[in-house]
Amino acid sequence: MNIYIYDSFLNQKKYESVLAKIETRITDMGLNGKIDRLGITKNINEIVNQEIKRGAKTIVVVGNDQTVNKIANAMVNCQIPLGIIPVGKENNDIAKALGIDFEEFACETLSARRIIQIDVGLANNTCFLLRAAIVNQETTIEIDQNYSVEILDKQGETQIINLLPPGIILPIKIKVSPQDEILELFIKTKATKNIFNKKISYSLFQIKKVLIKNKHFPVIIDNSKSITPPVEISLHKQKLNIIVGHNRNF
Amino acid sequence: MFSKQEQKADFKEVETIIGPSVKIKGDFHGTNNIIVEGVVDGSLKTSGNLRISDKAKITANVEAKDAKISGEVKGNIKIRGYLEITALAKIFGDIEVLSLSIERGAIINGKCTMLVSGEEIKKQQK
Repeated sequence: MNIYIYDSFLNQKKYESVLAKIETRITDMGLNGKIDRLGITKNINEIVNQEIKRGAKTIVVVGNDQTVNKIANAMVNCQIPLGIIPVGKENNDIAKALGIDFEEFACETLSARRIIQIDVGLANNTCFLLRAAIVNQETTIEIDQNYSVEILDKQGETQIINLLPPGIILPIKIKVSPQDEILELFIKTKATKNIFNKKISYSLFQIKKVLIKNKHFPVIIDNSKSITPPVEISLHKQKLNIIVGHNRNF
Repeated sequence: MFSKQEQKADFKEVETIIGPSVKIKGDFHGTNNIIVEGVVDGSLKTSGNLRISDKAKITANVEAKDAKISGEVKGNIKIRGYLEITALAKIFGDIEVLSLSIERGAIINGKCTMLVSGEEIKKQQK
C-alpha cells in the first residue's frame, strides 16, 4: 500500500485545491493509498515505523524540503522507497534536484517508479539529503584530521553538498552525484575588495568527513533545520531508496 | 619529441580547487588534479596534476605528476613528469623533475635535479 504523509502546513485552506488536484491525479493513475497528516502531537518516527510494520509499499512525502528531511530521518534504516510530491515552488530544492515535477505532475514520477539508492549525509546525528550550509564568518573547517581550511574572506558561504541544489553553478565541470559516496565541500567567497568588480571565488574539495566549528552561527541542513556547531559531517552507513524523475541532475 | 600540446598538464578533470581566499594548514594529500590559488602551509602531494596560479603562496614541500607553477613556492618540489615554470613563478627550494621548461623572468633559488626515467637509464647503459 502507498502511504501519503501530508505536512501540517497543508492543513491551511489555501492548499485545499492543490491537494484536491493531487488526490484526483493519484486516483486517476491508480496510485491510491492511505493518507497520514502530520500534526504537533504526532511523532513522525512512530507514524513511519507503524506504516512499515503494516506493510507499506511506498512512503510518499507531500510537502517541502523540511518535510522530506523529517521523513528521510525516520526512513534511513528501512528499504522501502521514498516518494516525493512537492507542494509550492519555494523550498523544494530536493525534489528539483531529483527531477521531480511539482504538485499533481509529480504523480507521473511516482507512477514510473524509477527507484535508485542515494547517499545520506549525516550532520552530528541528523540526516540530510541535499546540503549543509554555514556562513564563512568565524567558520573553521577541519578535514580528515590531516589539514584544516581557514577562510580568509569573511563574506560568503560554505556548503557541504550531497545532492547538487538547483541554481548552484560550480566553477569547473565536476559531476556531483549522491551515489559516489563522496561529499563536496564548496566554499564561495569574494576575492576582490573593489566595489565595482566583486569577483566571486570558489574552493572545492572532495571529502568524506569534515568538522565545522563556529561559535556564533549555525549549520543549516536541507534549507530547513539548524544545528549548533561543532558539527561533524559525514555520510550515513545506510543509503536511502528514493523515487526519482528522468530530469534529475546527476 | 613531445609536441608542446602533449607536454601541457591535463586539467580537464580538476577535483580540488584551493581558492584565493582560502588557507590550508597541514598535510594535503590528494589523488586528483589540484588547482591552488590560495595559501598552503604544510605539505602538498597529489598523484594527479597540479597548477599553482600567480596569486598562490605555498610554504610546503610539493609533489605531483605534472605541474605548472606561476605562484610562490617555498619548499622542495618533486615532479614525476613535466614541470612548467612561468615568468611569474618564485621558487625557493630544490626541484626534482623529469622534464622541465622555464619561462624568462622566473625566479628560482635552489638546486635542480633531473630525474631520469627507467627507459633512458637502459638506453644509456647500452
